Amino acid sequence: MKIGGSNLNILALAAIIGGALVGCGDSAASGPNTPGGTSAPAGGSEAPTTGARKAPSAEGFKVEGDTIKIAVVTSISGDNKPWGTDQLDGCKLAVDEFNKAGGLNGKKVEIVEGDTASKPDQAKLAAEKVLGQGVIGIVGEVSSGNTIQIAKSAFDKGVPVVAVGATKTDLTDEGSHVFRVCYTDAFQGPAMAHFAFEKLNKKKVAILTDNALPYSQGLSDSFRAEFKKLAGDDSIVADEKYESGSKQGTDYQGVLTNIAKANPEALFLSGYFTEVGPIAKQARAAGIKAVFLGGDGWDSDTILAGAGDAILGGFFANHYNNLDPSPEVQGFLGRWKAVHGGNEPSTTMGALGYDAMAVTLDALKRSKSLDSKSLMAALEDTSDYKGVSGSITLKGMNGNPPKKLIVVEVVPKTGNNWQKYATSYTPDQIK
Amino acid sequence: MTQFNFGKWFGTRAISILVALIFCFLLDKFMQGADKSYGRFLMSLAGIYVTLAVSLNLINGITGQFSIGHAAFYQIGAYTGAVLAANKFSALAASKPLLWLLLSALFGAIAAGLAGLVVGIPSLRLKGDYLAVVTLGIGEIVTIIAKNQKSLGEAYGLSTAKIESIFLISLLAITCIAVCRNLLKSAHGLAFLAVREDEVASAAMGVNLTRIKVTAFVIGSAFAGAAGALYAHTKAFVSPPDFSMDVSFLILTMVVLGGTGSITGTTIAAVVLFLIPEKMRDLPYVQMGTPLGVAIGIIVAVVLLRKIQESFHGAGSVRLARNIGSVGSGAVVAFIMAKLLVMVPAFQGQINGALFRMPVLAITLVVLMLLRPQGIFGHHEFSWSWVQKLLGKKAPETEVAV
Amino acid sequence: MSDLISLNLAGLDFTTLPQQLVNGFLLGAIYALVALGYTMVYGVLKLINFAHGEVFMLGSYGAMFASWMLGFGPGGAAVAGSWVTLLLMLLMAMLVSGVSGFIIERFAYRPIRNHPRIASLITAIGLSLLLQYGGQAFLLEGKKQAITSKVNPFADDFVFTPKKADASLIEQAAKIQPEVDAAQRAFDEQMKNEKSKFELSPEGDRLNKVLATAIAKRDDLKNQADTSSVTIRLPKGKLIMLATTIMLMIGLWYLVMKTRMGRAMRAVSVDFNASSLMGINLNTVITFTFILGSVLAGAGAMMYSTFQSAPIDPFSGTAPGVKAFVAAVLGGIGNIPGAVVGALLMGVAENLVTWAGYSSYRDAIAFVILIAVLLFKPGGLLGSNKVEKV
Repeated sequence: MKIGGSNLNILALAAIIGGALVGCGDSAASGPNTPGGTSAPAGGSEAPTTGARKAPSAEGFKVEGDTIKIAVVTSISGDNKPWGTDQLDGCKLAVDEFNKAGGLNGKKVEIVEGDTASKPDQAKLAAEKVLGQGVIGIVGEVSSGNTIQIAKSAFDKGVPVVAVGATKTDLTDEGSHVFRVCYTDAFQGPAMAHFAFEKLNKKKVAILTDNALPYSQGLSDSFRAEFKKLAGDDSIVADEKYESGSKQGTDYQGVLTNIAKANPEALFLSGYFTEVGPIAKQARAAGIKAVFLGGDGWDSDTILAGAGDAILGGFFANHYNNLDPSPEVQGFLGRWKAVHGGNEPSTTMGALGYDAMAVTLDALKRSKSLDSKSLMAALEDTSDYKGVSGSITLKGMNGNPPKKLIVVEVVPKTGNNWQKYATSYTPDQIK
Repeated sequence: MTQFNFGKWFGTRAISILVALIFCFLLDKFMQGADKSYGRFLMSLAGIYVTLAVSLNLINGITGQFSIGHAAFYQIGAYTGAVLAANKFSALAASKPLLWLLLSALFGAIAAGLAGLVVGIPSLRLKGDYLAVVTLGIGEIVTIIAKNQKSLGEAYGLSTAKIESIFLISLLAITCIAVCRNLLKSAHGLAFLAVREDEVASAAMGVNLTRIKVTAFVIGSAFAGAAGALYAHTKAFVSPPDFSMDVSFLILTMVVLGGTGSITGTTIAAVVLFLIPEKMRDLPYVQMGTPLGVAIGIIVAVVLLRKIQESFHGAGSVRLARNIGSVGSGAVVAFIMAKLLVMVPAFQGQINGALFRMPVLAITLVVLMLLRPQGIFGHHEFSWSWVQKLLGKKAPETEVAV
Repeated sequence: MSDLISLNLAGLDFTTLPQQLVNGFLLGAIYALVALGYTMVYGVLKLINFAHGEVFMLGSYGAMFASWMLGFGPGGAAVAGSWVTLLLMLLMAMLVSGVSGFIIERFAYRPIRNHPRIASLITAIGLSLLLQYGGQAFLLEGKKQAITSKVNPFADDFVFTPKKADASLIEQAAKIQPEVDAAQRAFDEQMKNEKSKFELSPEGDRLNKVLATAIAKRDDLKNQADTSSVTIRLPKGKLIMLATTIMLMIGLWYLVMKTRMGRAMRAVSVDFNASSLMGINLNTVITFTFILGSVLAGAGAMMYSTFQSAPIDPFSGTAPGVKAFVAAVLGGIGNIPGAVVGALLMGVAENLVTWAGYSSYRDAIAFVILIAVLLFKPGGLLGSNKVEKV
């Protein structure tokens, strides 16, 4: 029998792993200690949707020295790169302006970048990494599935998170540290339902959902529910699914044949522009005459290249319009173009990223002391901040600012413009 | 044949277990504190990856069953733990988190083990790449089901109780390693290896192929399931993209890169492959030309090293010198090319170095496979006699090369 | 799973079944082109070339750059494409894919050909990651692109109507048309006083509602008529795709079955070592096979991104790659007709699942079918289930 040797070998192996792992346990955090480790269970998923949100118990971080570290965690690579890089550029623009204007009492803001690679597991790692560097606030992400990961980590540390394009309705229930500068699916979907029913007089709609995207599922759910309320239970004549990303490619003939047979008057496409473009084109080819409707995921002119003329005359919900003559929008576009060689941001996330960072910096100015807790309180106190994408009020709103939504029509591209303002909705009109 | 000494047998085992427990406990204590949360999270994930890789190694490396859908069992375990903690056991998870975490891992292991049983049975009929595509399919099916269930949070995912425990994660990793290693030391283990080497011959020698394959699948899947349950509670959230095909491929890569069949190699490869991209988050902004120049340098170094491998048969020291020379010339080329390329206006744009995490991981895989196709450790294992040999002493007993 | 269990047979619409079968067949044809590359490489090398999807991706970039050079780029002047445009794009895609296939084989697979296959598999995974993420850094900054639909002059369909619509319903619909026209005129008149179509005065709103009701009444009759008919649409672009696929396959069949190189390829796939002893130059044969498979992937990529308007980015090869890989295995990997059969079966199966109303389980059920087939035929549909000899 040879026992001792073998068991000792296992222990030695364990020691090797342990040693290797301990080696990576470095950290540059500067915040006060908080109880961590094998305790502190957080609540389950049944947090109430209204009323007070639970507040993080941790203290957060303090600013030490002359730089104020704020993290931007977003999809700088991966599938959502077009949105993520726009967000990052928007945030950088806001910080540059803030620093050029003298910063805060001589202290400059520094962006700590975290790349989520458009994946939730990487989002978690990026969030843990930037939190380890003692940032007092986090701006990000463009998608809800990644933002929830950041929000979970930030809760344990007591650091506020300002989400950029995460429209999932119950995201902000995660804790009183989560804010956003966009509207929610619970507003966007119903607004489009009202638009279809009241303005376009459509009684029969079909819904095509991207099952790989939480965004698309959430938007379709809220649209479906509201439209049924308006037009009756049998007003949804077809409800089909596809999956974007690595599995299905771009053949939608099957679902479109089903939809064509149901003869809808309107087709709600809740996915991203990357898929909506080819879908619109194939839908016309499959004999669907319905008008196309969608959410803010349509917002990139790449949709025109994929869809050709098929998408013209479609309507979608958006956050703001580049043609808006207001000084906030035109001023922002002018400053953006100066940095980016005359190009406008290719997605709305440029403006929303700018707004998210600007709201954070505005709160920083009002914050009583330079730490996460005061920043969080100041953010919660934000009232009628004039952002590029409209007025932002966070006070007493559980992190969800009541924002105006505009509906735009897709028109042939002239110069940089391909969206025509149709109408707008405020949350009061829907509720 | 020495006399079986029960006292010694029991004693060594008890001491080993005790030492392992103390080790895990100390590791846990050492990693406490709010300022170590990033390190703690990295360590948790590394421990989970070690468990995943070693358990896949049992199926893939030791038994030779080509599975590329390990994330399916990982996902089943994770969702089992997450769902139970969010519903039926939410009170227990809140009051006794550690106890619940242990139970959660157990439930995860049972659920995934059962799934492994179901997958293991078709594996009897399928060989090689056919089995691979079936396991790939299982992985996809599990993900798609999760994406379509309202109760599982659809594509968004599911929130659950946050319970961190380095103690349990490291204990699971050590248990997984110990089980696999002890299995190999037994007569049973030899049967697993026999199945890998030659199914027909081992069947002729009386090995029950069915039982061996199914056992491997069930044990491997159960460990992956337990790892999944711990992962769910470490992150407090599970979502379908965490268990995509890429994750299966990453685990497979850890197994092969470490040396198919080598537990030591797999363990080390799991830690290294997980940490390489993570550590690269610290890279600064660079000009576009720099990474291109470095890439050219790497190509030069690899080509030279391959040439030496293929055609040089001289003394070890000369070979070492030449190898160092190759790496050195690669570095010089990289430096010069990087300096030259950034003079070209097209390559002057600034780019975040952290974005090269995945390309660098990919290059590591390709380069390592080109230079050492058998993996870092080949079929070898860590052992004390190996260390003694390394130190120039004569080995007291020879290990069975696995 | 509850929605899966409540299978509602009465809800099945058999009038769309022919169209769905056609859809499936056309989809399968693209899978087939990519699957051939997998299967041929597997045939000679016994290697699953996971980087094949990325060769496909590079092919679509090739097609896109060709279209840009011909003036269809951003800000390009060209208005409408023709046969020549499409042909040039096809050739460019095949060239780019072929060259990348050659480079991958020469520098990544050949050096470790004599080592266990799993090493090459990891190299393949590594290369695939490298091309995806490297592409994101250096290929047009990884932005999502699309070939403009202007290049395709064959955008319309052939429409067949095996069962005509109920004529009386169409007649009734026609009778309502004057009512619609009148409402439209009234509304247009009112619109002259309105600010915008979406912010109407009460009177405008009333007229708009009248118009909408009239249109709905007419369309309802038209729809009833539609539902009573059976139509099959054959998009011309897809037919071109199918014709090209068939021509390429005939070419491939000729090459493999009738030429010296083809005989050498078959010999290598039967016995690697023996064929080399018989004087076959292994390197030439393997390189040739890789290039051939990659060229077919390039052709598939060009047609996929042109006729389906598939978006192009560094990750766009994964989806067709995985599907084609599964199709190749389903048919019996290494078997050329098998890849075609497997691909067509996959395409049809996916569309039948959608037809039955389970579009959300489309891929899952495709995999279930695959697993079921493999359980009964462990060597794939056309693959031989060899008994191993000792």
